[in-house]
Amino acid sequence: MDEILKVKASELRTKVHSGEIKSVNIIEACLTRIKGTDFKVKAFLKLSEGRSLKQAAHSDEKIEKGEKYGFLEGIPIGIKDNIMIKGESMTSASKYLENYVSPYDATVIEKLKEAGAVFVGRTNMDEFAMGGSTETSAYQKTANPWDIRCIPGGSSGGSAAAVSAGMVPFALGSDTGGSIRQPASFCGVVGYKPSYGLISRYGACALASSFDQIGTLSKNVKDSALLASVISGRDYRDPVCEPREGIDYVSYIDSPDVLKTIKIGVPKQLLNYKIDAEIAKHFNEAVEKLKLSGTEIVEIDVAAYKYVPALYKVIMCAEVSANIATFDGIRYGYRTSSSKNLNDEYAKSRAESLGYEVKKRILFGTYVLGAKNYYKCYHQAQRVRTLFINQITDAYGKCDFIFSPTTLQMPVKFGETLMEECDIFLTAANLAGLPGITVPCGFANSDMPMGVHFMGSRFSDVKLFQVANAFEKISGFDMNKYPEL
Amino acid sequence: MLKEELETIAFLARIEIKEDEKEKYLTDINKMFDYIEILQEPDITNLKPTTHVTELRNVWREDILKASPKKVIDMMLNSSPEREGTFYKIKRVISD
Repeated sequence: MDEILKVKASELRTKVHSGEIKSVNIIEACLTRIKGTDFKVKAFLKLSEGRSLKQAAHSDEKIEKGEKYGFLEGIPIGIKDNIMIKGESMTSASKYLENYVSPYDATVIEKLKEAGAVFVGRTNMDEFAMGGSTETSAYQKTANPWDIRCIPGGSSGGSAAAVSAGMVPFALGSDTGGSIRQPASFCGVVGYKPSYGLISRYGACALASSFDQIGTLSKNVKDSALLASVISGRDYRDPVCEPREGIDYVSYIDSPDVLKTIKIGVPKQLLNYKIDAEIAKHFNEAVEKLKLSGTEIVEIDVAAYKYVPALYKVIMCAEVSANIATFDGIRYGYRTSSSKNLNDEYAKSRAESLGYEVKKRILFGTYVLGAKNYYKCYHQAQRVRTLFINQITDAYGKCDFIFSPTTLQMPVKFGETLMEECDIFLTAANLAGLPGITVPCGFANSDMPMGVHFMGSRFSDVKLFQVANAFEKISGFDMNKYPEL
Repeated sequence: MLKEELETIAFLARIEIKEDEKEKYLTDINKMFDYIEILQEPDITNLKPTTHVTELRNVWREDILKASPKKVIDMMLNSSPEREGTFYKIKRVISD
């Protein structure tokens, strides 16, 4: 593996902008790494080889001539395949969008283009981000670079695997119920989901709109902060985007004493779950490390955690059924060639182009929204969501951040299933619109990485990055270690 | 969920399900139902439903029609599997 690939994005940025290294050389190294290892990992659905090299050459020229250049000029990035880049395909890993060409740029892409970032390729995912293993992709199964017999997690499994394997220094993902943070943890990288509304979703393929957020995956916390600094900020085209200007998270990130000033809450409810013994061991060690750094640890009681997976299932599927209803095979996407009338056309187009998991969620969502089940299921889940948010809000009266293992299980082998509660502490953040970040903290059973998760109160993102960054320094995790492929 | 209900829901959602797939859908969806039963447990008297976590209010603008450039219109129409002029072409809506 080329040494250049071990340089973190924030350092690459300094080196490229000072002329020490050329962007073209970085992009070439990334492409070589991908070509040499991705036949095993299958993180990428599509590479933009020619365009990215051309763009890198252009970036180098700008820097050399002393012309104005962007914040991430010449730095490579991977993009999850549910975010639109104008004129390029975007499949969301579904047959339904196999031939779709994005007519416009997503807001985050617009911002990254302006910043001069180089899009190396599109990363694999679960179909329409529905899944936690990247196995529901209609195109390929992505492997965990640390053990290619195991899943990388999902739905942003391609982005997590690509960053983990050193193919790109960072990547974009999307997170509806843990879809950035769970694969990040499984692949031993950092994954950040912002407070709901800090990053525009305009131009990203919707799953469940009251939970969806775009976020970042990177080797270290600083690089996630770097990327978040570029892509966050108000956007009138996403109606729930907060009217707040973007924040330069990186400039605040170094806060050496932050761990001495915060109270961290550990949910009592952790004891109710069957947590992998190695994960529990590493987590307890992490708690001890925080204590040694002067952090006050308190126990918090959020009884409603136990409703999280169930209420997420109801609301997510209901929102899926509404969002996917826009896929009619008329304005774009797959259309059947064997239909008799319009209704038949919708039904057959969807039947032929959508995978089982997607169809199951639409049907369940339609059912819980129907007259018979609306109050008993959907309305009830929305009210239990309120109960959960109230209890979490109370918990933040006692602590600044909630700390837990990122997942309750280690990545499983292909074909095996994760337990329903595996991502419970991640989904909690989506239900309440809170920011969450996973930081790798060690290697568990047979050299597989695992992470711990910090969840902040709403809009505490600046401090969340500070805390995660400070923890990273004491975690003992060697971020310069890469999987052998 | 009963088989007839599955068929109704599939029609409402406009998804064709083949006869031999129905059993699997029913098993899986009924498992999901059992799983969410726990939501009946907590006391939620006086709690309002949460639809969104933001505290944003609607903002309004003047309702003025802005014409899109022909290039944009073309690009959108070209995304369609079948177009005719400035129209999307679809199957007949009313059957014989």
